[in-house]
Amino acid sequence: MTRKSFSLKTVFPLLLSVSFLLPIFYSSASACAAQYGGQLILATTSDPKSFNEITAKETSTSLVTDLIFEGLTTTNAFTTKVEPNLAKSWDISEDGLIWTFHLREDVRWNDGQPFTADDVVFTFNKLIYNPDIPSSARDIFTIDDKTFTVEKVDDHTVRFVLPVKFAPFLRGMGQAILPKHKLEEIVAQGRFNFTWGIDTDPKEIVGTGPFNLVRYDPGQRLVFERNPYYWKKSIEGGPLPYLEKIIYLIVQSTDVGLLKFMEGTLDGYALRGMDYPMIKPLEKKGNFTVYDLGPDMGSQFLFFNQNPGKNPNSGEYFVAPYKLAWFTDREFRKAVAHAIDKQKIIEIVNNKLGYPQSSTMGSAAGFFYNPDVAEYDYDLDKAKTILREAGFVDRDGDGVIEGPRGGRVEFSLYTNAGSTDRVDIASIIRQDLERLGMKVNFRALEFNTLVSQLTSSFQWEAVILGLTGGIEPHFGKNVWMSSGQLHMWYPMQEKPATDWEKRIDEIFTQGVQELDENKRKVLYDEYQRIVAEELPIIYTVLSARLYAVRDKFGNLKPTSYGGVFHNPEELYIKEESR
Amino acid sequence: MWRYAFKRLLVAVPMLLGIALLTFVLMRISPGNYLDTVRMDPQFSKETIARYEQLYQLDKPLFYQYVQWVKNLLRLELGYSFYYNVPVYKIIGERIWNTFVLSLAAFLLTWCVAIPLGIWAALNRNRFADRAIQFFSCIALSLPSFFLGMILLFWASQTGMLPLGGMHSPDYESFGWPGRLVDLLKHLAIPAVALSIGSIAALQRIMRGNMLEVLGQKYILTAHAKGLSQRRVVYHHALRNAINPLITLLGYEFSSLLSGAALIEIICGWPGLGSLMLTAVRSKDVYLVMASMMMGGVLFIIGNLLADIALAKADPRIRYD
Repeated sequence: MTRKSFSLKTVFPLLLSVSFLLPIFYSSASACAAQYGGQLILATTSDPKSFNEITAKETSTSLVTDLIFEGLTTTNAFTTKVEPNLAKSWDISEDGLIWTFHLREDVRWNDGQPFTADDVVFTFNKLIYNPDIPSSARDIFTIDDKTFTVEKVDDHTVRFVLPVKFAPFLRGMGQAILPKHKLEEIVAQGRFNFTWGIDTDPKEIVGTGPFNLVRYDPGQRLVFERNPYYWKKSIEGGPLPYLEKIIYLIVQSTDVGLLKFMEGTLDGYALRGMDYPMIKPLEKKGNFTVYDLGPDMGSQFLFFNQNPGKNPNSGEYFVAPYKLAWFTDREFRKAVAHAIDKQKIIEIVNNKLGYPQSSTMGSAAGFFYNPDVAEYDYDLDKAKTILREAGFVDRDGDGVIEGPRGGRVEFSLYTNAGSTDRVDIASIIRQDLERLGMKVNFRALEFNTLVSQLTSSFQWEAVILGLTGGIEPHFGKNVWMSSGQLHMWYPMQEKPATDWEKRIDEIFTQGVQELDENKRKVLYDEYQRIVAEELPIIYTVLSARLYAVRDKFGNLKPTSYGGVFHNPEELYIKEESR
Repeated sequence: MWRYAFKRLLVAVPMLLGIALLTFVLMRISPGNYLDTVRMDPQFSKETIARYEQLYQLDKPLFYQYVQWVKNLLRLELGYSFYYNVPVYKIIGERIWNTFVLSLAAFLLTWCVAIPLGIWAALNRNRFADRAIQFFSCIALSLPSFFLGMILLFWASQTGMLPLGGMHSPDYESFGWPGRLVDLLKHLAIPAVALSIGSIAALQRIMRGNMLEVLGQKYILTAHAKGLSQRRVVYHHALRNAINPLITLLGYEFSSLLSGAALIEIICGWPGLGSLMLTAVRSKDVYLVMASMMMGGVLFIIGNLLADIALAKADPRIRYD
C-alpha cells in the first residue's frame, strides 16, 4: 500500500481535469442492489517479480500485494486524506511523539486466524527494522538513523513512540501489515529475503485484503478470489467483496493488450495518448467508456550538471569549468526554460493529451500543489534577450553563441533510449535551443549507462529524465535536500552550495516536523516557488492518464488519485450485463 | 563413432565455462548493475542500496563472484535471480519448456512444408508452379516475422477465429486432454506460422537448389536409363544425396530452438524465454542471463553433435575414426 500511495497515484484532480472527465458522481444508492459474483479481467504488461511486500522493489509487485495486504491507515481516493483502515482510531500525545492505534477487532487473516497487535509489532520490529532485510519501508520509518519504538499495549492496541515529530507518519501507516503466524519461523531462520517469491504456493501468501491470490501462471495470468474473511461490509451490511474473481492477464505487448480490449476479453485498459483517437469513437459500439483521470504523477524534465567536483582518480573536472559557469548561471537556465515549447511537446509527444508542468509538485499532488509559481512561456525572443544581457553573444559570427568569458556554447544532451517520449522531447527542445544559437549534441543512452553517469561518474552536461512524484512532499527529500544522492544536478553535497539550496534544506527539515497541515503547506509552497525561480530542474509536460472500462460495473468511481479500480471490494457487475 | 562423440562432449565442458565467463564479463564490464533502477527511486536510501548490494554479493570482487558461480554450477545450482529473488531454475524451467513447444511446432511446420515444396519446385523447374513458389518465397523472406505476427493477430481480432496471444485459454483447467490439445494448437497457430513462413521460404530454396544439382548428375541419368520409375529415382537416389547439406542445417536449427523465437513470443504473449531474457539482460540480472546462455550453449553443442552423427549415418563416405 505504501508504495502505491506515495509514488504512483495522482491526487485531486477532479477540479483540474478536463471537459471529458466523466460520470464520476455515481451513487451506489441510486443503482439497483449490488449483485454478488462475476469477475473482472484486466491486463498487466509484466510478470510480478515477487509477492514479498517488504523486499519488493517495483510496481509490478504492488499490483499484486495491494489486493492482498492492508495497512493501519489508508488514503481516501477522493479527498486524499488519511483514513482509518485496520486501525479504527488513534490518539496522539501532546508532544506529537506517542501515537496509540486502536485496531479493529473483527479482522481476520485470509486463513481464518485473527489479526492482532502482535502482527503489527512483528511487521515493524522483525521485518522492517531487521538489519538483514533490505527494504525501502525502513528508510521511510527511520529519522536521522533513529527508529521508532513499536510496542503492544493489549491485543488490539499498539503504541508507536517516535524519536522526533514526523509529519508523514500517519500516511506512512498505510504500510502493509504481514502475518506473524506465517512468517515468524521463517524470519528466525533468516530465510525471509527469499520467502514469498514467485515460486510460492499462493495458499501460503496470507493477508487481510479483499482478495487472495489463488493462481499464478508465469507469463500468463494471475488469478485472485474473494477473501471470505474480509472485514469490510457493504452499506447494507452485507459481506464484501462482491466480485468472485479478479484476473490479470500478462500481456507483454501493449498493442496486443489493446486488441484484446477491443475484442472484449479485457474489462479495462490503460490507454496511451496515441490510442485515444482510435478508441474514443468506438465507445458506444464497444460498450465502454474512456475516463480521463487528469495529469499523471510522472514528470519529464531537463537539468544541467552543476557539480564543481573533480574525479578523485584522474583529477579531471566532472564538467569543464567554463561550462559549469553557464550551467550555474540562473539566467542561462531561465533562457532555456523560455525555449521549451510545451504546447508542441503536448501536441507531438502526448497526442494533444497532456498538461504543461511549472511547479515541481505537479498539479496532481493535490493539497500541497502550489499553482502560484514562476512560469516560463515559450518565447524565443525573450530567451535571446536574457542570454544577450547575461553576456551570451555570437561574437565570432559562426552562428553559435559564446559564453560571457568565451567558449562556444556547445554541450551534450543525454536521455535514456528506452523512453521514446523522452527522445522525442529531447529533439523538440534541441531544435529550439539551436535557434537560440546553442550547439546541442544529443545522444540516447542505455538506461544503465545513464544512471552510472548520474550517480557515480558524474561526467555529463545536460540530461532529460523523469521521476514519479507523490502527494507527500517529504518523500522527495532524496532529490531536493542538498545531501541527497538523487539531488541530481549536484548530489551528496557536504554543505549546501547555494543559499537557495540551503533554504530548501531548512524547509524539508522543518516541514517533516510540522504537524499542522496548513503550516506545512506554507513551507512546501515556498519550496515550490524557489525551485521554479532557480530552475535546477526545468519541467516540461505531464501526460494524461486515460483508462477505458467496459460499461458493466456498478460502484465504479474513478478518481485521479486512486485510478479506476481503487475500490475492487465494492465493484459489482450490473444485472443487465450478466 | 562413440569415442568421437565422447571426446566431443568432453571438449564441450571448457567451452561452456568459456561461454559463461564471456557472458559474465560482458554483463559486468558494461556500465551499471542490477540496482540502477532502485538507485533512481527517491524512496531508497544509500544504506538500503548498500544492503541490497551485500545481499546479492555485488560488493565482492568480480573474480570472486564468478568463482562462486562456477562452484555452485558444479553442484548443479544455477544461482539466484536478483530480479525475482528465487533460484534461477525455478523461473526458467517452465519457460524453457514453453519455448521448446513453440519452436518445435515451428520447426516441424517448416521442415514438413519446405522439403516437399522444394522437391516439387525442383521437379517443376521454371514452370508456373515453380515461378509462383519462388515469387512468394521472395515476399516471405523479406517480411519480418514480428510484422507478420502483428498482421495475423490483427486478422484474428477481426475475425475471432483464433485466440489473441497467450498459450492457454482462461478456462483451460476445465478441459479434458483432447480439449487441451486443441486449445494449445489453436494458440500455437499464429506464432508458429509467423515464425516458420520465413524459414520455409529459405529452406525450400536450398532444397530446390540441391535437388536440381543432384538431378543433373550422371548417376541420375544412369538410374533413368536402367528403367527405374521416376518416383524411385527421385526419392531413392536423388533425395538422399540432395538432403545431405540440410542435415548440417538441422543441427544448427536445433541449437537455435531456444533463442529464435524471442520477438514473436513477446508479440504473441507466449510465456517463453524471450521476454524473460530481454528483461533480464536489460535489468542486468546476470545469473538469469548466464543460465539461459548455458542452455543455449548446451543445445548448440548437442545439436552439432547430432548433426554430425546423422550425417555419418546418411552418407557412408563420412567416417570419424
